Amino acid sequence: MLSFSLRRTLLAIPLLLGVATLVFFVLSLAPGDAASIYLRPGMTPETLEHIRRSMGLDDPLLIRYGRWLLAFLQGDFGYSHFYQMPVRDRILAALPNTLILASGALFFAFLIGILVGVLQAVKEGSFLDSVLSGVTLFFYSMPSFWLALMLILFFSLSAMKLWNWPFSFPVSGIQSPGADLLAPWDQFRDRIHHLVLPTLTLTLILAGGVARYVRTSMLDVIRQDYIRTARAKGLPETRVIMKHGLRNGLIPVVTLFGVYFPFLLSGTVLIEYVFAWPGMGQLMVESILRKDLPVVLAGTFLFGGMVVLGNLLADLLYGVVDPRIRQSDG
Amino acid sequence: MRRSLSLLSLVALSITACVGESGDGPGAGLGDTFCGPALARVDSFMATFAGEEPTGGRYGGMVVVGTVADMHGMSPRAAGDVGSAQHQQFVNLMTLIEADESFDPMPYLATSWEVSEDRTELTFRLREDVYWHDGELTTAQDVAFTYLTVINPASEYPNPGFFQHYLPGEEGVEVVDSFTVKFHFQPHADILESWRGLAILPHHLLGDVPTEELSTHPYGAVCPVGNGPFRFVSRAPGESWTFQANPAFPEALGGRPYLDRYVYRVIPTQTTLLAELITKGVDVYVQMLPNHAATAREETGLTVLSFPYPAIFFVAWNSRVPELSDVRVRRALTLGTNRRQIIEGVQGGEAVLLNSGVPPVHWAFDPSLGDSLPYDPEQARSLLIAAGWVDRDEDGIRENLDGEPLVIELIYNQNRERQQVGEIMRVQLRDIGVELRPRVMEFGAYMSQITSEERDFEGAFVTFETGFRLDDRDLFHSDAVDGLWAFAGIMDPELDRYLDTLQLIPDRVEALPVWRAYQNRLLQLQPYTFLYSALRRDGVNERLQDVVMDPRGDWATIRQWWIAPQDRKTP
Repeated sequence: MLSFSLRRTLLAIPLLLGVATLVFFVLSLAPGDAASIYLRPGMTPETLEHIRRSMGLDDPLLIRYGRWLLAFLQGDFGYSHFYQMPVRDRILAALPNTLILASGALFFAFLIGILVGVLQAVKEGSFLDSVLSGVTLFFYSMPSFWLALMLILFFSLSAMKLWNWPFSFPVSGIQSPGADLLAPWDQFRDRIHHLVLPTLTLTLILAGGVARYVRTSMLDVIRQDYIRTARAKGLPETRVIMKHGLRNGLIPVVTLFGVYFPFLLSGTVLIEYVFAWPGMGQLMVESILRKDLPVVLAGTFLFGGMVVLGNLLADLLYGVVDPRIRQSDG
Repeated sequence: MRRSLSLLSLVALSITACVGESGDGPGAGLGDTFCGPALARVDSFMATFAGEEPTGGRYGGMVVVGTVADMHGMSPRAAGDVGSAQHQQFVNLMTLIEADESFDPMPYLATSWEVSEDRTELTFRLREDVYWHDGELTTAQDVAFTYLTVINPASEYPNPGFFQHYLPGEEGVEVVDSFTVKFHFQPHADILESWRGLAILPHHLLGDVPTEELSTHPYGAVCPVGNGPFRFVSRAPGESWTFQANPAFPEALGGRPYLDRYVYRVIPTQTTLLAELITKGVDVYVQMLPNHAATAREETGLTVLSFPYPAIFFVAWNSRVPELSDVRVRRALTLGTNRRQIIEGVQGGEAVLLNSGVPPVHWAFDPSLGDSLPYDPEQARSLLIAAGWVDRDEDGIRENLDGEPLVIELIYNQNRERQQVGEIMRVQLRDIGVELRPRVMEFGAYMSQITSEERDFEGAFVTFETGFRLDDRDLFHSDAVDGLWAFAGIMDPELDRYLDTLQLIPDRVEALPVWRAYQNRLLQLQPYTFLYSALRRDGVNERLQDVVMDPRGDWATIRQWWIAPQDRKTP
């Protein structure tokens, strides 16, 4: 399995470069270039020409592509003219923010989703199952930006103004302005405080999907003969579900993890936008709007890389949850 | 399993390597070598004021200003962006002169100035107590350096037209002594206006930087070292800029600002920005949407400051297109547009109707033009009939003799205001038999379409922030008909005469009749359907005192803002 994963990973590199190449040509051939973003009334054609030159837009497209590809292969992602810094630095500033948000949401989504899914499967057909199905379907179907705004309305605006709660959550941002003046522990608490609403939004949306997936998977498993055998042996129900049922029911869920992992980097775009979370999603939207091509290309490559990494992780997790796969590999 | 982990490590390592490798693109690597020492010198200089800063009373507190877009920074190129320009003028850097509430010039970095009798020389005498934030004195050398930099197209400064009448190159500037600088030019109008918008740059830091590298130099966005009332502390790209009060700011100019700290926060969604204002997460919401202003007005502890702003909103008609080459058609389009209804519907009435490109805050604005082309669909229909456009097949849309329908595409970039106005105009013009087809475009493509040589458009929504120094030659002069900004493409000798003359009349009383005649000629030619100049609205938390917003800009009075001790908050 591992040699397969490795082969697949290596094969993904030219694929990713191909995707980045496609993005390069699509954005480059679209009407208007990055320099047009800087056009201002009164600007002379000479100034515009200088802007185009400093952005490297005065060369023919193929030469620009060759220059980009050569630098890219050497690990040079280029320069962001909007943010006026190397793309590497800009991405390194945004990526950790997204990873923190995404990993937290992923953890809680799977935790809650698995718990709810298992509970629904065990209580199949009950009132509780129906209620939980309705709730999970609700969150699964909600547009993320709408849910985000609703959570802001409840937990920030109304909590503070209408209900006079002793606490409310910050509306946006990754930390309070001036947080750098706080003691390290207070800074940490401030960050956690800011993480709550965006993480909750993502968690609710993802957990709904996970729960529905786990429920179906568990229902398949608990109807198997070996579960009946386990019960016939007189094992307690908890042990039957947790040891024999869940272990097998989780195998397909691992695939879901492989799908969700890269999605979280790209799928947080709207959440980041609403919560002004300075992560990769917000960066990519801004960069596309401003035609900041080097950032878009590097981001595309990174997102693609995360898809490969997600699949690889899923392969590895298969081995963890299913001994048969581990043994056949060993 | 060990093999699995090794593989994972390998992939992780390769991603880190890809991201972590430093390239040799513009600005790469300079950040550390330039910014580290520069900011260390700033810290060292500021430390000398420790314990000497005024405390108590109005001094103290932090204010957070929220906007939807990050600013470009303090480089000359960045001056094209409104947020950056205002931070250069009022926050981090200084201009030679500033304007008072009546827009009259006031001493700022310059203590005085003198225009020679023949109006070919302007001499500035500078303050001798303005320090760059790293401790160097601001001198005439800095002013000359800035001037020579921005007139060089390689600096990418967006307003080179400010200095088009100046003598070329170094002939245009003369350093008389350390604190006196003289400029040489051909006589022209509004000599001082240019100097109100140009922030002075530090020669000692940037003098050795090739001009063509300035726009990518880390000074602009990574570690600007200014001489204004607030010094740069940090920037989190796409998130915030943090500034601290400059204790060395001259006493004669008010001394250290009252606020300890000022944070510029980027919140891309306006709804979130409104929520932040209501929950007191930000103190100022810059450029509110009209419906947000209505919400904020109902909140306790918030106030909405509406103020006129030198910006105009219009539809540019491309007269190179056969249908729009006829002035009767262009006039009909204006007469068939109920602009007052648009102002009520889209701006809640908070806008001034325009009939020329002169904004209401400009001294040459002619309010009598306001009702010159009122909504008159009957007259619009008559003009269209006279121009040969008749509804021949009775489908509600007029056709010419060849049976071609009068269909006009109106392009704009994604923007709620433009979308609304476009939709209203579509309905109104349909009433006079014109089919208007609004089409939204990506900004870069839109700009390219209206400024390229092909001019592949019929009508376009345009908003101009005009500033106070108006020069419309790029827009309407025959000599500039192939230039970037000649959207309409009209050529009119009378208009040319006015445009040539206006830039040369120094006396406003003498110039006013010419400005009026010019605006009347525009009214006749209708190259644009001028729509309105909207009030700018900023939502402000009432804990913030002495906030004055006026056409000078949102940050023009930041030196005077203060917060009472009981209203200050910790993060």
